[in-house]
Amino acid sequence: MSRELKTFLVGVFEEEDQIIAATRAVVGAGLPVHDCFTPYAVHGLDHAQKLPRSKLTYVCFGGGLLGFLTAITLQVYTQGIETPLLSGWPLIIGGKPFIPLPAFVPVTFELTVLFGGLISAAGLLAFCRLYPGKKVPLHIDGVTNDRFAIALDPQGQGWNEARARKLLTDHGAIEVAYVGETA
Amino acid sequence: MSSHTSHLREPLVVGNPTLAQISDDVCAPMERKPSGLWWAAFSVAFTVMIIGLSAIGYEFYTGIGVWGLNKTIGWGFDITNFVFWVGIGHAGTLISAILFLFRQKWRTSINRSAEAMTLFAVICAAIFPLIHMGRPWFGMLWVFPYPNLRGPLWVNFRSPLLWDVFAISTYFTISAVFWFIGLIPDLATVRDRAGTRIRKKIYGILSLGWSGSNRHWVHYETVYMLLAGLATPLVLSVHTIVSMDFATSIMPGWHTTIFPPYFVAGAIFSGFAMVLTLLIITRKVLNIEHLITINHLENMCKVIVATGMMVGLAYATEFLIAWYSGSNYEGFTFINRAKGPYAWAYWTMVSCNVLSPQVFWFKKMRTSVPVIFVMSLVVNVGMWFERFVIIVTSLHRDYLPSSWAMYSPTWVEYTTLLGTFGIFFTAFLVFTRVLPVIAIGEVKSVSQFAKKGHAKVHPSASASGLDPEAMTDDEADGALEVSP
Repeated sequence: MSRELKTFLVGVFEEEDQIIAATRAVVGAGLPVHDCFTPYAVHGLDHAQKLPRSKLTYVCFGGGLLGFLTAITLQVYTQGIETPLLSGWPLIIGGKPFIPLPAFVPVTFELTVLFGGLISAAGLLAFCRLYPGKKVPLHIDGVTNDRFAIALDPQGQGWNEARARKLLTDHGAIEVAYVGETA
Repeated sequence: MSSHTSHLREPLVVGNPTLAQISDDVCAPMERKPSGLWWAAFSVAFTVMIIGLSAIGYEFYTGIGVWGLNKTIGWGFDITNFVFWVGIGHAGTLISAILFLFRQKWRTSINRSAEAMTLFAVICAAIFPLIHMGRPWFGMLWVFPYPNLRGPLWVNFRSPLLWDVFAISTYFTISAVFWFIGLIPDLATVRDRAGTRIRKKIYGILSLGWSGSNRHWVHYETVYMLLAGLATPLVLSVHTIVSMDFATSIMPGWHTTIFPPYFVAGAIFSGFAMVLTLLIITRKVLNIEHLITINHLENMCKVIVATGMMVGLAYATEFLIAWYSGSNYEGFTFINRAKGPYAWAYWTMVSCNVLSPQVFWFKKMRTSVPVIFVMSLVVNVGMWFERFVIIVTSLHRDYLPSSWAMYSPTWVEYTTLLGTFGIFFTAFLVFTRVLPVIAIGEVKSVSQFAKKGHAKVHPSASASGLDPEAMTDDEADGALEVSP
């Protein structure tokens, strides 16, 4: 990949309340926020950062629907279809109908869950562009341990370095420095 | 919302450790050399596993004639062990998914190990239906519907045994995915503190380049909730379908509509007992008693007493219906259970599952680690016997008195059962060495350390009742939000 490596102004905090307040202030001041980095999901930070809701719920619904249709098609075709063109292998078992819908419920349910779950998980990896061996693009020390960080984009619209530094420091940043992407 | 400082609840994490301390405490067992105790436990478990696998090998080589099954009793230890192990697995999903949906924060310390336990238990369970096919190298493929050169002859989608194939394989897959998704942020934590190149490399690959980005967290939380929402009905469906293996037959003692809820309650009951057995040892050996506290154990004891009573109610209901239905066969089967040749198994089951958990009504008992540990073993013995009673006592007296028989398991069956415990404990011991046994990120999110601001806000809020002014915006939002 020949993506250009960028440099960000990063403010590092020690408490989740500080980063929420700082993010709210920075977003409120119209400064360009690249992203926040936290060791766990900090609730309220998505609102502070004005992030949209995740669209993965639709992906999950689509996956479930696909599983449902797959299961119905598979069962009806193999157990009940016998035409010259397209044929499963209907067998009389216990004198029961070839397409007994109640008996198809368990497998249909399982495949709905299976497809829904697998496709949502795959969707997460795709949405976040996570894959085995990926390098973390912007490495900030401690954000997977005990630090909370905001990265501001100096190339973004409305950039004002003095203002950014002041807001971050005022909200308790223990460190404000430029950090460059490494991958 | 995790950030509330409640005056009614005790803190979930004792001693108010810093976030870095939580990482250190959870990662320490993976980063130091294993203790002598670990090696001792591992050697025993590994040896037992090898013995069990040898017994399975012998059974493959000779045929299932080496088991004690006969024409009357066609299901014995094999299916008993299968249902037993599947049931064990259910507690993991209950803790990780159902308690998540119910916002039970105390799950955060125990969900990782409980989910690991689920996976290992399902592996142990899956062994039995495979080996009872006799020639599993054919059977393990033929149970799946795929185009084949035998017609194609398809599987019978009207059979509960086939539903079971779908239920168990879906359950294993979704549990594994749920577990792995939960692990990603923690693997990144382990990656970033790794001391050696090789560790950095391995955990770097496994953590998929997780950076802690909040844009990613938003997607992550959504998927975590979706998977919890999918896993919840899934876990109920799995034991429902397992129970249908029995309930859709016309065997007296099996042919009953109470089976699905009865099996699910029993599964949770036995699973929690196994979680307790494992965690009492784990927290002691790994020095994480401030993360898995006595409150966690006590909560699980409450679940055990509740589900134990449900199981007891099911036993009573079965008897009532056997009498009320007026069916001679049902009536005989149940009287035979309580007074027949397998009465010892029946009364072992009742005393282990219904009578003994009653000690947990007393707080002193619920908070005594030795009592909990002994009880967890007792409950597991009881639940194993429950499956044995359901399967063997129903089969051994069938409709034709001339074919009545007794079941005497052979050494091969005993060793195979033992071997699955070996597999289970070997896997769990390896797990405690290579992966964080506690969900680091989730425990951090419920610890108070990084929430000093909230602690300042709340005493005033509680002093003036519910003061909306004292509640910050994100708390008000957060009350409706998802948090793992």
